[in-house]
Amino acid sequence: MSVFSGMNISSSALTAQRLRMDTVSANIANADSTRARINEDGEFEPYRRKIVNFQSDSPSFRDQFSKIKGDENKTVNGVKVASITEDDAPFVTVYNPNHPDADEAGYVQMPNVDPLQEMVDLMSATRSYEANVTAFNATKGMLMKALEIGK
Amino acid sequence: MTFFSRTFDSLQHGLDYAALNNKTIANNIANVDTANYKAREVEFKSILDNELKTNMEAKRTHEKHFNFNEGINQFNVTTNKGTSYNHNGNNVDIDKEMSNLATNQIYYNALIDRMNGQFNSLQSVIRGGS
Repeated sequence: MSVFSGMNISSSALTAQRLRMDTVSANIANADSTRARINEDGEFEPYRRKIVNFQSDSPSFRDQFSKIKGDENKTVNGVKVASITEDDAPFVTVYNPNHPDADEAGYVQMPNVDPLQEMVDLMSATRSYEANVTAFNATKGMLMKALEIGK
Repeated sequence: MTFFSRTFDSLQHGLDYAALNNKTIANNIANVDTANYKAREVEFKSILDNELKTNMEAKRTHEKHFNFNEGINQFNVTTNKGTSYNHNGNNVDIDKEMSNLATNQIYYNALIDRMNGQFNSLQSVIRGGS
């Protein structure tokens, strides 16, 4: 466990939250994209909402080893993004016969993005980001204070 | 009588605890949105016991009497597995973590301040009070 591991923990969370914000941005940007990709049948498919999954960063081999050896071990490791998955929720169907992607009955499949949900997620990510900035500054302040010992 | 009084050891252990506590809190805050993460906590009491162990000896009239110096000689990081504050199984109380973070900072700064006080006292003695 190095001196700066506290800062590394906080910065890992900053990276993760930043990626979450980016994903939310992508979701909102594509809230109306009916042609996100081409499926197996050669037809356009609407955009699917992306979800970021966090995971507590697993301890390294060295940490596990020293734990078994009985050495001092604290296993504080921060967070990482485990995966970005797609929301399986059904697409929203809207009646719009003039749309180029409308089917024979005049219905268009729109992305399963709920702007409200995205905004809540965005605010949550922002708050978490701020909390981690505070934690980072706390660690930094303590390290700077430690440099004053003996002055 | 040692040159460096036992106060230094106590302060040093206190600083060790505060540093570890800070890392644990930082980790809890980092994992505030992680599914199934359970908050961790550093226990200070064991280290206090350890400090007292060398200072205080119980007067025992029988060998099977309990001594004061029972206890583990490290701080423990414990995980609070019992609760769940969120639908995703997370139990980090962000308000609690933030206030603990602030408290810990002040505690750490106070210890550093005392350490500097000790050094200044020593310096004063070395200079002969001049």
